[in-house]
Amino acid sequence: MTLEERSSPILKAFEKAVAWARMNSVWAVHYNSGSCNGCDIELLTTITPRYDVERIGIKLAGSPRHADVLVCTGPVTGQGKDALLRTYEQMPAPKFVVAIGTCALSGGVFEGSYNTYDGIDGLVPVDVYIPGCPPRPEAIINGFAQLLEKVENYA
Amino acid sequence: MDVLRQLLIIAIFPGGIFMLLIGLVYAWINGKLIARLQNRVGPRWFQPFADMLKLITKEEIVPEGTNKLLFELLPIVALAGPMTAALYVPMAGLRPSSSFQGDLIVTIYLLSLMTLCTGFAGANTRDRFSTIGATRALTQLFSYEAPFLLALLGPAIVAGTWQISEIITTNQGLWLVVTQPISFVIAIIGLMGKLEMHPFDAPEAKTEIVAGALTEYSGRGLALFKVGHYVELVIGLTLVAALFLGGLANPLMFLLKTLGLLLGISFLEALMTRLRIDQTVGLWWRYGSVLALLQLVILVIWSTLVS
Ligand code: SF4
Repeated sequence: MTLEERSSPILKAFEKAVAWARMNSVWAVHYNSGSCNGCDIELLTTITPRYDVERIGIKLAGSPRHADVLVCTGPVTGQGKDALLRTYEQMPAPKFVVAIGTCALSGGVFEGSYNTYDGIDGLVPVDVYIPGCPPRPEAIINGFAQLLEKVENYA
Repeated sequence: MDVLRQLLIIAIFPGGIFMLLIGLVYAWINGKLIARLQNRVGPRWFQPFADMLKLITKEEIVPEGTNKLLFELLPIVALAGPMTAALYVPMAGLRPSSSFQGDLIVTIYLLSLMTLCTGFAGANTRDRFSTIGATRALTQLFSYEAPFLLALLGPAIVAGTWQISEIITTNQGLWLVVTQPISFVIAIIGLMGKLEMHPFDAPEAKTEIVAGALTEYSGRGLALFKVGHYVELVIGLTLVAALFLGGLANPLMFLLKTLGLLLGISFLEALMTRLRIDQTVGLWWRYGSVLALLQLVILVIWSTLVS
């Protein structure tokens, strides 16, 4: 698409509508790349009625083909790496990645270990980092808020 | 002029845009009711609209090893089936826009088209989750289809016609839910089976087989299947309300009766957990069809005694 076409008002309105839709409907697929399960429990807590992110349109999808966001925990073990890459590649564009927990950010307590990759950002492009060991649901919601901003400004 | 009228019927009301909008609204009401029953806040009113717009504008991946034509065609047929059925039911309490002797059967088969397409879509991909989902969807189709049809036969037998509009006018007086309670219950539960709602959601069980037959669908195909489901929900509710709850005289009655039914369905959905596929089949063949047959026998004997 050329620049002139992009600036037509109808297309602009359409793009705005699409950005709005993307921001209000974020489906996530959860992948555990070898975490200790602490972060996963916190992520699930975020979806329970108490924190309830589904009210702002965020929900877990079963299949990576349905998902917009890959929510990844854990330091990526040697065995988990292929599955992580496959899950990421199976997602349709536009796609985003959220790294949850210190392990997913830098390797955490496993940093420098012989069989981990020290965080997922060496393997897939990460959009939002949520530090903590494990991060509280409030922190995860804060991370999702940052993600929504990013989704809205995605062109 | 006539062509224009036909086009309007297909594109705006009761087909096309109207069905899409009301389907999305009913999907939201269903989601909200279930959320409230589970003590959650629930989705916002525009949630289904945002979901569908997002899905339609997403990339669509056609996986390797599938028939590309079928992969693209099946979602369209799956939406077209329920959309066509909208022409034969008294949508929004108005007269059906098209009607002929036997349209009840045609409507029921058009509603089954959705499940068939889901099954084919699952069998079309190489993915093992889709295949299991497709097998389950089709197995389930064979279990609830016969009782559902038998249940809807009741009103038709009493009225002595296969035409939906005539059934409604003949059965004006007493609501059929009073005289045929078994058929009504079976029709409602059959509708839930058709829509793969909660106790019967083994074909798309998220916790076991990812997303069932639709695992490989992304973007547009998934959106069409979902919208097809929503449209089918509205049509099914309209059909059951029109046949068993004394017809749909005007738009207000339509809203009251279909939303009342939807409330009941949402209650059942929030109450029950998923049945295994063999339990579903057993339930339908052991109890559902026997009860439906019993109701039919009672009806036939009663109508011969009366006449
Ligand atoms: S960050 Fe902490 S809680 Fe999370 S996976 Fe690593 S060790 Fe477990």
